[in-house]
Amino acid sequence: MVKRSKKAKTMRKLIKAIWIFNWFNSCGFTELVPVVGSRWDMERFGMIIVGSPRHADVLFIAGYQTLKSIKRAKRVYEQMAEPRVVIALGSCTMTGGMYWDSYNTIKRLEDYLPVTIYIPGCPPRPEAIFEACEKIFKHVKELE
Amino acid sequence: MNPKEEREVEILEDIGSKFDVEGKIQRERRIWISIDNKELIKLCGWLKNQGFEHLSAISVTDWVKEGRFEVTYHLWSYKDKILLTLKTKVDREKPVIKSVISIWEESAQIHERELHELFGVKFKGNLDLSSLFLEDWHGPPPFRKDFDWREYVRDEFYDKENEREKVYYD
Repeated sequence: MVKRSKKAKTMRKLIKAIWIFNWFNSCGFTELVPVVGSRWDMERFGMIIVGSPRHADVLFIAGYQTLKSIKRAKRVYEQMAEPRVVIALGSCTMTGGMYWDSYNTIKRLEDYLPVTIYIPGCPPRPEAIFEACEKIFKHVKELE
Repeated sequence: MNPKEEREVEILEDIGSKFDVEGKIQRERRIWISIDNKELIKLCGWLKNQGFEHLSAISVTDWVKEGRFEVTYHLWSYKDKILLTLKTKVDREKPVIKSVISIWEESAQIHERELHELFGVKFKGNLDLSSLFLEDWHGPPPFRKDFDWREYVRDEFYDKENEREKVYYD
């Protein structure tokens, strides 16, 4: 039997049942609904949306964050238990997207929260979201 | 004249006989009037008694060259089904105007709070003008025409040395 590190063990538990907390500020969620629905159905990977950040492993952040909402997002992140993963969706989180010259939106999410993975796109396709999750699965499985 | 516009004419003449206003009937069920800001509260109180109970919105237009802000009140009458647009001007250097919360209360409060945040217009009599969307905002009121938001964004968010962000300075 392979002897795994403590971290690898915890991470394996995490990817068996991924509980997601959504923090969506703009069009992000409406574009992500198909992922929840029956066609792409994220529950077959054990991913489910929970109502409280205290139960969540993964924080999905989609769309631009304003200076006001990023404070709340930080508070949500702080409430999550370790180990935690932040997935940022859409070009807005990376560069500000179409709000690149707005006085009230943040431009790089990584300045405010430790982003694990970015998913580009405006909006990202459901396939792209699964690809990102697969990358995390693969990374965890390679952990020894 | 369209027979439907009789009520509009009646209202406009009624206002004209009591207050010093400029007004016109824009089209069916739409009246535009403008008044000096000193008489605003008196007129608003009178209008509410005439049936204009619903304050749909307050907006501000920034006329930079003229040096004035134009404050616009959109009033709706359920009784007559008429939308009355009431305009008044305030000085841009000293933008202080009396609040209409004494007349329309809560529905005026939130609009005035937002306009104070975005244009810096002070509504005298409104007790809570704290910021609504712009928490911890240090710049000038952002909806003013002379506010250069691109420059503000460059200073605040971007880095000229960053390869990825150099394009914003071209």
